[in-house]
Amino acid sequence: MNEFVETILALEWHKPKPAYDVVIIGGGGHGLATAYYLATRHGITNVAVLEANYIGSGNSGRNTTIIRANYGIPESIRFYQHSLELYGTLEDETGCWIMHSTKGLLWLAHTESAMRAERARCLLNQACGAETVMVTPEEARSICPQLDLSGGGRYPVLGASYHVGAATARHDRVVWAYAQGAMRKGVDVLQHTPVTGLLRDGERVVGVETPNGPISAGLVLSAVGGNVSTVAAMADVRLPIRTHPLQAFVTNAYALGFGPIISDTELFCYVSQTARGQMLMGAEFDPQPSYSLGSSYNFLQSCSAKVTHLLPFLRDLRILRQWTGICDISTDFSPIMGETGVPGFLVTTGWGTWGFKAIPAGGEQMAELIATGRTPAMLEPFRLDRFARELPMADQGSTGTR
Amino acid sequence: MLALETIPGVRAAADAAAIDGMVVAEGAVVLRFAPDEVFIMFPKPGRELNEGFAQAIIARETGFVGCWLTLEELAARVVAHIDWALPVERPALAQGLVAGVPAKLWLESGRALLLCAAPYAHELTERLR
Amino acid sequence: MQRADRHPAPALAGPGRIVVDGAPVPYQAGDSVAMALIRAGAHPGRGGTLCLAGDCGNCVAEVDGIAWIRTCQADCRPGLAVERHPARGGPPLHPVAQPDVTRPPVARRIPVRRVSVDLVVIGAGESGTAAAANARLRGRTVLLLDAREDAEVVAIYGGPTVIVRSSTGMTHVHAREVIVATGAAELHPVCPGNGLRGLLTGRAAELLHAAGIDLGVAVAVGEPPRDVPCTVVAGRLVRIEGTERVSAVVTATGEGLAAAEVRTPCETLILGLGRAPRDLLARMSTGEPVAVIGPAAESFPLPPAPTAGIVCPCAGIGVDDLEGVWQRGFQELELVKRASLAGTGTCQGSVCLPHVRAWVASKSGTVPEPFTARPASRQVTLAEAAADVHLDVFKRTPLHDEHLALGGRLDRFGGWWRPWTYGDHVAEYWAVREGVSLGDVSTLGKLIVSGPDVVELLERIYPNRVGNLGPGRSRYALLLNERGHVIDDGMICRETETRFVLTFTSGGAANAEMWLRDWIETWGLKVQVMDRTMSLAAINVTGPLAGQLLGRAGLADPPRYLAHAHAEVAGVPCHVMRLSFTGEASFELHHPVDRSVELWRTLLDLGRDLGIRPHGLRNLFGLRLEKGHVIVGMDTELDSTPHRLGMDWAVRMDKPEFLGRSALARTALLPDSRRLIGLTMTSPVPTEGSPIWSDGEIVGHVTSSFDSPLLGRAVMLGWLKRTPFPEAVEIDGRRATVTRPPFYDPEGLRARA
Ligand SMILES: Cc1cc2nc3c(=O)[nH]c(=O)nc-3n(C[C@H](O)[C@H](O)[C@H](O)COP(=O)(O)OP(=O)(O)OC[C@H]3O[C@@H](n4cnc5c(N)ncnc54)[C@H](O)[C@@H]3O)c2cc1C
Ligand code: FES
Repeated sequence: MNEFVETILALEWHKPKPAYDVVIIGGGGHGLATAYYLATRHGITNVAVLEANYIGSGNSGRNTTIIRANYGIPESIRFYQHSLELYGTLEDETGCWIMHSTKGLLWLAHTESAMRAERARCLLNQACGAETVMVTPEEARSICPQLDLSGGGRYPVLGASYHVGAATARHDRVVWAYAQGAMRKGVDVLQHTPVTGLLRDGERVVGVETPNGPISAGLVLSAVGGNVSTVAAMADVRLPIRTHPLQAFVTNAYALGFGPIISDTELFCYVSQTARGQMLMGAEFDPQPSYSLGSSYNFLQSCSAKVTHLLPFLRDLRILRQWTGICDISTDFSPIMGETGVPGFLVTTGWGTWGFKAIPAGGEQMAELIATGRTPAMLEPFRLDRFARELPMADQGSTGTR
Repeated sequence: MLALETIPGVRAAADAAAIDGMVVAEGAVVLRFAPDEVFIMFPKPGRELNEGFAQAIIARETGFVGCWLTLEELAARVVAHIDWALPVERPALAQGLVAGVPAKLWLESGRALLLCAAPYAHELTERLR
Repeated sequence: MQRADRHPAPALAGPGRIVVDGAPVPYQAGDSVAMALIRAGAHPGRGGTLCLAGDCGNCVAEVDGIAWIRTCQADCRPGLAVERHPARGGPPLHPVAQPDVTRPPVARRIPVRRVSVDLVVIGAGESGTAAAANARLRGRTVLLLDAREDAEVVAIYGGPTVIVRSSTGMTHVHAREVIVATGAAELHPVCPGNGLRGLLTGRAAELLHAAGIDLGVAVAVGEPPRDVPCTVVAGRLVRIEGTERVSAVVTATGEGLAAAEVRTPCETLILGLGRAPRDLLARMSTGEPVAVIGPAAESFPLPPAPTAGIVCPCAGIGVDDLEGVWQRGFQELELVKRASLAGTGTCQGSVCLPHVRAWVASKSGTVPEPFTARPASRQVTLAEAAADVHLDVFKRTPLHDEHLALGGRLDRFGGWWRPWTYGDHVAEYWAVREGVSLGDVSTLGKLIVSGPDVVELLERIYPNRVGNLGPGRSRYALLLNERGHVIDDGMICRETETRFVLTFTSGGAANAEMWLRDWIETWGLKVQVMDRTMSLAAINVTGPLAGQLLGRAGLADPPRYLAHAHAEVAGVPCHVMRLSFTGEASFELHHPVDRSVELWRTLLDLGRDLGIRPHGLRNLFGLRLEKGHVIVGMDTELDSTPHRLGMDWAVRMDKPEFLGRSALARTALLPDSRRLIGLTMTSPVPTEGSPIWSDGEIVGHVTSSFDSPLLGRAVMLGWLKRTPFPEAVEIDGRRATVTRPPFYDPEGLRARA
């Protein structure tokens, strides 16, 4: 028996109904968390989550699981800090073991301009309730003894910001925890049910088409990750989103011995060790937009080169598996949540390469919006119409590490 | 270690058709960087391009450094650092990353010229050690 | 690694000793590490069936400092260090606090070969060898790869590109076509007791017997091995008995009530339970010209659904675990995998996948497709993947060594090495403000544009007027994208009616060139472009004594403010541009890179009695801040319009057309909501990035700050993002005054002097 076999959670599958109050397209973290909070906080349970494949088959089951709030603008810091805190209590709330572990994240700087950006990050983070402090190279090494402060002779570490509350959790289990909680309250999760079209009544979206027949809905929420452009197009909505692949890989499992999350302001790579002992790493998204889930050797090469400059012990570890997800990257690197201008059709998207950490807060806030019909204050900055109002939430801090 | 030195020449940006019709002095080596751009190495210093090129930008160029390699040196020092196939015809100009550095190769039948922009010289020599 | 044109096979070494867990273990010529251990009566791993074919994870150990090596694939050599993985938990991480260059393989350079062929055949078995021979006959270049010949295929990537690992390095093969002929793997048993030692697949038994290893009392179940002395027992496998090592096997014949169990004692149990295609490589390369032949392409019958025992030895998952997660609602292959972890071990399901599929089929009634195949098929270390990889290139100006010689500390900025400070940054500051100083600005982007349509191009590209600029004059300009957001800035210098020199920021030059070329093409304009960024170096001579210094260098009549001219300075041909970023009279001397050192040294010599000293970036950022000049990318954000930057003066909305104009016209009607402002306050200077507060709320942040020696207080630029824009703000808990920049010489008298 392996201690990481799932022995707590149980999923209950229901038969589809012809109509629901709310239909959520996409059984990833955001779709399921929204259903969960609708059911648990607002008593709205006549809800279906329609998943094209199996739940968690999208990015929510492919990411590198980094949860952090050290963003670059107050609105984002507060949102992600709230999410980070919700993650901290999710195990108690759901009774599930999501393997949540607070690790702290070191963000290494190699140039004066990076130091400047990290100092700024610390100040703004502290001011907005996220604990992030500057550390010296020596302090960084005491946090992560494996660090090579010379950066392989090429990227000397001048300093780092240390985000104390950064954590990881097992991605699948987060998906399942929300699914279980929603299912128990009566939410129907329908797997292998791709949405192929939207039912319209004039402008209004009133349901969805599936290969198993139409399902009518009081309201439809798209939570489809990298596929959002195609689903939004069904509602004639164009979004400032491009889909880019993002890759990652893990090594075999080793004895635990690597505590923090390490990431880098210049090399845009990040490394952590999973509870099972695998070293998990990734880097920036592929520059070419694409829907391909294929992996590239280029990525394996450059990512390996980057992380081994910083952490030479990784050189001798063997790579087990490499994979790819397709990410909904918004033009300002911030999420887009809420109304679309088409009645009856909402989106939660723009989660790009950073949306795992946002699952609790994203779900909670979207549920509140759906339940009350009003955009909660925390979501206000992330509405789609911000682009038309020339108020993008340009946050370079979102990229770089997940 | 490769010793990269300034390779002086004349650089011209002009209409592709004008470059096609360009006449250069005997013995000059013409590297066609792009349809609308050439780099010309004259056998004797001081030679200029003939006029008659409409709206061209012509500049004396000392911004490239490089070195001539024997075919053995090319194979031993450079080819191992290239992730793309060399052209087969000769002479030929190839451009791409050499050891991750943007560079150009001018391939003649008996020798080759490795060129890069001066700011890259240091990294290229370090990497081709 | 190639067959016909094979690498020289490693000379068959004689017998010797390897060192396992600190104790010597003898080996015979040709032994793999696993075989040497078995020969010595040990199990290379923790237990379980051995295939000795590289398929399973049951023989993994740390070999030569690298864990998770399938020891059946590792050759012995004298003194080879082998550490077995601990009985529980993963092998240790070997932390290297600082790079210990003496420690292999950190010091070992891993060579990379790059090969192009018509056809790669993976697997030198019967079908692979025949396919390779066939293709060669037809005149095609063929590479035949086999793990048994030190050529492990890691993966097939797009191209197709086949990545090969061997003990002597990596090979990247670009192929037109790939044939996967990897054969079939032998099934492992799944029943109680299948984790014991002494279990072999048929082929493993054949291999060990041929190597002269005594298998003791051997019993075979299923298809018996060839030429291996053993007792064959009929019937199906029920369980394996023993403690640590197998002592007996229990088989059964007949069904239901007629079923009869037989217990057969043994020291070695040989299992011929059937095979499964080794098709991982084929499955991971869909969409590529990859064919599968031989047993790898066959559809073997799935094994019977397992009822008890370990199903996934790599992850230690039993049939009961599968049952458990199924009961919990994880009722399809992918969910079973993710919830139970079966298939997530080091063999990536090679062993367990057929059994798990059979098991899921027995539950659900349909045979599921195998789960997604991903690299790596054979594993590589990160060092092997990183071999020969070069990350970014850092550019050096021709003055790099000069800066170092002058005690400069270099920093990377915008992709270039640049001097940050030469040590005494206060002295550098005063040299600019009161004397004369040199700055290396070689990194500036420099484009020549020329052609009959050049004015039209620039009028459309830039938001300000270009046509009315006379030859010999220059003008500062913003570069906007279609959304009206500032993407770069620089100078426009007109040389003739149809020729201009444009400058851009160091980091923005490459993008600016692409930007221009794209629009020239889009608009179909007759304009030539030549990028001179790396051809020309540039030295900024700045300070009230700059003109005097240039006079000494032979430039008697330097250009007026915002004019430019070609002239010799100290015998070096220069394009001299008079402008001012520092706030003092400044002359940028653009000159050929090969003359730069000469010019720099001469100017320093000539200015010695004027107290000349060079200044670094650190000071430049402060000097320009006193003047309120923004640095694109530092003070601007992705959505900064000229209006938000307070730079409406750089935009001529009365021009009929320019990039970003319609966006600016639209957004001009929106409420003002974000604004870059100037701030001053008493020292100490707040850190760049500090939040700006008003009434206990964060209303923005400082983008740049400088403790001005001349003004004796902090000067800053910062964003206000809360409307109505507050008048009274606090930074660091202290009052700051919103002040319109420039903070220094607002009339610009010194720049023009
Ligand atoms: C390699 C990688 C690493 C990452 N690392 C991190 C990280 O460390 N930290 C972090 O915060 N974020 C990270 N992310 C981003 C994060 O994974 C995503 O932002 C997040 O999972 C998005 O969740 P989602 O629910 O919006 O989308 P998904 O999880 O992708 O779910 C969308 C679902 O919609 C389904 N679907 C699509 N179309 C249809 C349709 N027409 N009908 C029905 N269903 C449909 C899909 O099958 C899918 O299951 C990473 C992403 C990747 C790819
Ligand atoms: S047996 Fe290796 S992963 Fe299951």
